[in-house]
Amino acid sequence: MADKQISETAPKKGKWTRRAFIGAGVVAGGALLVGVAVRPDNPVERLSPMVAKGKGEQLINAWVKIDADNIVTAIIPHVEMGQGIFTSLAQMLADELDADWSKVRILEAPADAKYVSHDIGREFLAPNLEVPAILEPTVGGTFLQLATAMNLQITGGSFSVRGTGQRAMRVAGAAAKEMLIAAAAEEWDVPAGELRAENSMILHDKSSKSAPFADFAAAAADQGLPNKPKLKSPKDYKLMGKAMARHDIPDKSNGTALFGIDADLPGMKYAAVRAAPVVGATVESMNVDSAKAMPGVLQILNMGDFIAVVADGYWQAEQALGTIDAKYSKTEGDKLNQDALFARYASVLDEAGDDGGDVETEQGDVTDAFANAATKVEAEYKVPFLAHATMEPMNCTAWVRDGKCDVWSGHQAPLMARKAAADTLGIDTDDVTYHNAYLGGGFGRRSENDVIIMATRIAKAVPYPVKMIWSREEDTMQDHYRPSATSRFQAGLDKDGKAVSWSNIHTHLFDPQEAPTVPYYNIANHKIRKIDVPTHLRFGPWRSVDHSQHGYFIESFVDELAHAAGKDGYAYRRELLAGSARHLAVLDKAAEMSGWDTPMPEGHGRGIAFVPSFGTIVAEVAEVDMTGAKPKVKKIYVAADPGFAVNPDGFAAQMESSIAYGLTATLYGEISVKDGAVQQSNFHDYPILRINEMPEVEVGIINGDHKRLGGAGEPGLPPLAPAVTNAIFAATGKRVRELPLSKANFA
Amino acid sequence: MKAVFRASAPVLVVALAACGSDPAPEPTEQIVVREPGADSDSSADGAAPEPAGEATDGLIAAGKSAFNTCIACHVIDKGGANRIGPNLHGIIGQAAASVDGFKYSDAMASSGITWTKEELDSYLSNPAAKVPGTTMMAGAITDAGRREAIIAYIEDASAN
Amino acid sequence: MVTLNVNGQVKELDVDPATPILWVVRENLKMTGTKFGCGVALCGACTVHLDGKPVRSCSTPVSEADGKAITTIEGLAEEDGTFSKIQQAWVDQQVAQCGYCQSGQIMSATALLKNNPNPSDEQIDAAMAGNICRCGTYVRIRKAIKTAAGASSETQEA
Repeated sequence: MADKQISETAPKKGKWTRRAFIGAGVVAGGALLVGVAVRPDNPVERLSPMVAKGKGEQLINAWVKIDADNIVTAIIPHVEMGQGIFTSLAQMLADELDADWSKVRILEAPADAKYVSHDIGREFLAPNLEVPAILEPTVGGTFLQLATAMNLQITGGSFSVRGTGQRAMRVAGAAAKEMLIAAAAEEWDVPAGELRAENSMILHDKSSKSAPFADFAAAAADQGLPNKPKLKSPKDYKLMGKAMARHDIPDKSNGTALFGIDADLPGMKYAAVRAAPVVGATVESMNVDSAKAMPGVLQILNMGDFIAVVADGYWQAEQALGTIDAKYSKTEGDKLNQDALFARYASVLDEAGDDGGDVETEQGDVTDAFANAATKVEAEYKVPFLAHATMEPMNCTAWVRDGKCDVWSGHQAPLMARKAAADTLGIDTDDVTYHNAYLGGGFGRRSENDVIIMATRIAKAVPYPVKMIWSREEDTMQDHYRPSATSRFQAGLDKDGKAVSWSNIHTHLFDPQEAPTVPYYNIANHKIRKIDVPTHLRFGPWRSVDHSQHGYFIESFVDELAHAAGKDGYAYRRELLAGSARHLAVLDKAAEMSGWDTPMPEGHGRGIAFVPSFGTIVAEVAEVDMTGAKPKVKKIYVAADPGFAVNPDGFAAQMESSIAYGLTATLYGEISVKDGAVQQSNFHDYPILRINEMPEVEVGIINGDHKRLGGAGEPGLPPLAPAVTNAIFAATGKRVRELPLSKANFA
Repeated sequence: MKAVFRASAPVLVVALAACGSDPAPEPTEQIVVREPGADSDSSADGAAPEPAGEATDGLIAAGKSAFNTCIACHVIDKGGANRIGPNLHGIIGQAAASVDGFKYSDAMASSGITWTKEELDSYLSNPAAKVPGTTMMAGAITDAGRREAIIAYIEDASAN
Repeated sequence: MVTLNVNGQVKELDVDPATPILWVVRENLKMTGTKFGCGVALCGACTVHLDGKPVRSCSTPVSEADGKAITTIEGLAEEDGTFSKIQQAWVDQQVAQCGYCQSGQIMSATALLKNNPNPSDEQIDAAMAGNICRCGTYVRIRKAIKTAAGASSETQEA
């Protein structure tokens, strides 16, 4: 496997747009709709029955709509969970359209199969696929179908801007503009080449004529569809690259933003739930004598895997649930304890020896290179399970009646949620209407369907709409966790300290496939293997997914190699990245921002780490004060190259956010298992970083390649933990080989 | 066979499908206490559980758990920094507003209270009534058993 | 019956006096800006004001509010919707991400500035440490509080 290809699976925009299929039509009120199909047919034709059946606002398959009041609506096929995606994608569309930003509205796409996130489907299904250019459209079409089948309307993988934005929003905006200009050219009887668009107006400079987009919306739909709309070059960008204010922030500052938990229906009741503490166990018996007598209680349900109490109010349901004693079945999972789990990892890795496990990537001959190395370095690292701990606890509202079902929640993949509800009830997906709201944090947790399924099951059993809310305790104990893992390394250095062999074996590989690999480092021989060690606990994607642990493993070990070579961590990484200008620029910028060569006070240390992920290259430098009882992270310098930052302020916000999320994990994130059950339950034993522990953050952005965009929501996280632990090593000489830091003794 | 339990009237018995290969499992027990809108049966008012009258260790353990409500604002380790609320180490027996370095409300500073267990119990049952103007945010603890447990824990943790 | 004064409006409600203010506001009064986060006063998402002082509404029974004024996030803006200085600073500094905790953050910050119009960095950290933000908007929360404090002091001097 040629590793260079793995890191270069960025969208091939030119090839794709050549094959883009654009559709257009008019809806009620004379609104122009423009859509971009990702397979060869016209989406608007297929959708016209759907578009025609209602009045006013419609569920429409299109990315842009221009109505009679000259309002441009960008329809966003992703969900807003704090990453600012509604605004960034609207910027991309409005810029190509030359729309007046003050008259741009944003609408979340309905949970409809026509809006599937083609790109994320492709990335998840075959991330390493290298497709000859000529086959690209076919492959794209095939993957769309697969994605549809798998019900992916996902927001995740930091993919919205680089996939949907580049391939659909910009194309639709540019196409709509060309069609409006063509219509205006006919109307005014002037050559299209003399017309231009600006601020949602069509202008003819020669005659000083101008008119709003809306005047041409209907006629524009009759124009031929441009095969290859011309996209702007960066020098012409008006909105892209600018720090536009996010449209959702005012509503999130006055309490009017609606989250899943805010769903409200006439006659709605509330359910509190408690699942068997060991996943896989069932409720054998429950004592409901007290609960039955408590005020507001309507129903008590033993659902097998969980207990639900339905009441007039949530607090009443929760209070009653608290009085129920239950007995649970015994399972194999009961035997699992955290120490034993790490012991099991160790024995599995021992058994694998030099050749066991599944080879993920191999180049050269590591055995030979290691045997002949002048210096040999070995290390083992461990990380615990981690919970997502979104601020909005898991919740879902469902109403089952007349063979149909409505579901309200905040989900990262609305189509998957819809299908999950349909499958739960054994009805057609067309009989389920899924209503998505703002997500009070996603981080991967809200891509799971367990909550949707539970609420639908409760709703099926009761004759009214029911809102199920998890307590914080349930949310912590019934998560789909970032796996705990052990990773072992061996590396050989030549007499100059240069790395000549790199071997790694680790437990688990979830996603993305390239997370454990280091194709950007010049190491001639490498071999990377994994072994899956299943447990009864459920794993799920956790912000930056496998990069969250491998970033720590890899960058800690690189620091150990630097130390073994007698070199500084920054200088050593420069050698490993030699010849890769874009990577070096990021590393150099982080070092420069931090004043890498300036001395630190006694007891303070500086650490650097470098991880490209989700198409964005990131280097971070941490400054840590080790003079107190506990490590104090003072400042983080972030240098990042996302190709092109569509909204630089939003991008910086995502870097700040990733640092807080990553620092929580680094300092104290730990879910542990005892007798098969998760031991942590609320923020006292699963603490989250608070404002008094938040370091200063300085973000430097490099726009390194405007054609190849990277993600924002996740890539800031992987370098954080190793930057901090490498800084601790610089300050104290103590190497941290297990997270979180709360387990370490620095006294 | 799935069971349907009858509780206080009126009861709605929901038909349950037999076990089978349904898309998702239905309830194995469904206890319908009442229909929406119907009055709760007030005669069956559940008596509040008795405060734990067990051994002191049990009380302290219960208090440690109940103290979780407090830890967002208070630490109790000796020498630990004040947070939103003052460090509570050794608070029992001290005069109100006497923890070094903590900025108390005027109300607390002038309350004249000495934190005996009884005063603490009275305060925790309704802080705003006991000290009108206090800035303590985490409201009243209405359950006497929880207050007793928390105070036992504070005393125990202060001894270490 | 409990009589409540919420954002200047008096309401009579038939609820169990032990019910936490949070659930009365959200479910009975249908004001959903105040959020449930942890249920035990650890996270601050449910912060409201009782007679101008911040309380964790998830752990404060509604009986506590008898005869007092409750202010929720919905009560901060002026009647015509104009944002308070703090709210405007939140928009200007682009604080919110997922937004779920922000009602509580803004209520805590409003109380802080009421007591201390020009807080130091340490005072901001101390006063806001009871409010968790999982998106990590802390850097901007600090900036927004400073912005709002600056705006207030300018007004006072004018």
